[in-house]
Amino acid sequence: MTDLPEYQLDRVFDAPRELVWRAWTDPELLHRWYGPGAETIIHQFELKPGGSWLNEMKWGDNSNFQKVVFQEVIPPEKLVWHHHSCTDSDWNDMVNPMMADWPRLLLTTVSFEERGDQTGVRLTQVPMEATEAEIACFAEAMANMDKGWGSGYAILDEILAELRGEDRA
Amino acid sequence: MVLDIYNHTVMEVTGYTSPQPNLDVIFSALADPTRRAILSRLVKGQASVNEIAAPFAMSQPAVSRHLKVLERAGLIERDVDEQRRPARLKAENMAAAVDWLSEFKAFWGKSFDRLDEVLLDIKQAEAKETGHD
Repeated sequence: MTDLPEYQLDRVFDAPRELVWRAWTDPELLHRWYGPGAETIIHQFELKPGGSWLNEMKWGDNSNFQKVVFQEVIPPEKLVWHHHSCTDSDWNDMVNPMMADWPRLLLTTVSFEERGDQTGVRLTQVPMEATEAEIACFAEAMANMDKGWGSGYAILDEILAELRGEDRA
Repeated sequence: MVLDIYNHTVMEVTGYTSPQPNLDVIFSALADPTRRAILSRLVKGQASVNEIAAPFAMSQPAVSRHLKVLERAGLIERDVDEQRRPARLKAENMAAAVDWLSEFKAFWGKSFDRLDEVLLDIKQAEAKETGHD
């Protein structure tokens, strides 16, 4: 199973590990940073193996629902969860309306490593119980993360740049 | 990728229509260099099949097939009434695709930026409590 595509993000935070752990595991703090530019509402947060984190992200009138089920909770070192990437408002899995083949379930591991007064965080996500189409979709996304979504992304950029140029003209 | 396009084509033919931009279909449609060139041509304004086919060493039916794929992906629209059925770009679906991908790419990175700020807040609050400030 080592050939599954993986998303990995490393970041060093300028805070001691206990503090970083708190920011990840106290819903009062978590909702302040989780989700870019959206209003994050945490409906339920049970920090224990088998416990659920029910998360809503609101953009204007639109809401995006996700369910996390914790597998491992090892303070202040490690969190492992099953990430249900797209659910309905009753927290049942559903197909992502924008990307039908996006993996419905991602195995997510977050590790916290002490580095003096700082903390190294590594986040990885790997598709779980995925169909071949889901694995392929995720692999393509990962392969093109940094350089854009392959040729498709490049042509979109080009076209949008030309359109913006026309707007100015 | 060719198989993807085939599958999407079959879905469309059998009555499957997406209520909003479907990124799988959009990116499959964009995977072909000829179709990307056609889109670049349409950035400059609407064009008929003849006009689009001119720079390519390709038959009109072949160009028409490419236009159908682009139309199903919602990247272009074509006039039904006129005989020459000019095609034009539908920029809003492109914008939706770019927005969605930007959101996805930025999700954890942007969240981590916000986490930096939250950690700074907590550290400052704790420093005040313990009288360091």
